[in-house]
Amino acid sequence: MIRIAAVGDVHVDKDVLGRYRPALEQLPGVADALLIAGDLTRHGTVDEAKCMAREFGDLGVPVVVVLGNHDHQSDQQAEVSRVLADSGLTVLEGEGTVLELNGHRLGIAGAKGFGGGFAGACASKFGEREMKDFVGTTEAVAERLGAALRGLECDALVALTHYSPVPETLVGEPLEIYPFLGSYLLGQAIDSAPTSLALHGHAHHGTERGRTPGGVPVRNVAHPVIKQAYNVYQLLSDQVDAELVPA
Amino acid sequence: MTPQLDEYVEAQIQRLLTESGAVAEQGITVQRREHLLVLGGEVESAQRRDEICRQITTSFPDVEIACDIGIVRAAAPTEVEEIS
Repeated sequence: MIRIAAVGDVHVDKDVLGRYRPALEQLPGVADALLIAGDLTRHGTVDEAKCMAREFGDLGVPVVVVLGNHDHQSDQQAEVSRVLADSGLTVLEGEGTVLELNGHRLGIAGAKGFGGGFAGACASKFGEREMKDFVGTTEAVAERLGAALRGLECDALVALTHYSPVPETLVGEPLEIYPFLGSYLLGQAIDSAPTSLALHGHAHHGTERGRTPGGVPVRNVAHPVIKQAYNVYQLLSDQVDAELVPA
Repeated sequence: MTPQLDEYVEAQIQRLLTESGAVAEQGITVQRREHLLVLGGEVESAQRRDEICRQITTSFPDVEIACDIGIVRAAAPTEVEEIS
């Protein structure tokens, strides 16, 4: 059995320091790892990354994150990633990692992702250079995510993105902005591997549960959606244990 | 008297909340009533909620606002979901 805690869109800055900490300090008793689905900061500054590292560092469980669009706002995403990595967090962008947990190997492939929309209303790589770049960016990100997922040898495989791979978990958001919230290309990448679970954030007004066309469970763990410090998901379990009893 | 709120004001406020460095919120809903703007959604701290109202009041002093923005709870969970 592996238990994964997950949250996204925590948008940490000085004013948030300490808010998550009481719940995070319970983590070693209730989960084996924490995955964070992007938008770690408000504006993607180094100072905010230091706040993020302080709030979500030294938890006693591995912490694996992807960046979100907010973490790109100041064009300091490389520095932000470095600050987080120096604090012991694993930052994924088009790559994967394997954690040894309870005798099982948990594979996690992560990427921020990008937009473009979903079948029936998706953007195409056609016309203006800006439009081709927009769709081309998502294609490249999805390709790297798919390759990372397919390249991991593990017992349970999790895809971690900021943008959504499916429209179901966007329900509640205005239909008009779906193309800015995710892309079917991410879903296709997730379905190209034996993925057990896909986690994303970004859609604050979205819905928690969905599935890819290939049947992979998708969970929108944006903080305003789950309305608690993190959710806990159990993989490779022999029996359902709905009560969250600390070990 | 509060001016009639139109789509242009709504769009300007939506962009202000995202593009203003002091706010940077994309998850705030803005609903136009006849002479009132209702703000919804959730943010990470009371300071952020108050700053949103301050920014709108400063940029649009004639617009009356009702703030229904909440602070996202950050308690530990009590349940686990099995994925199968």
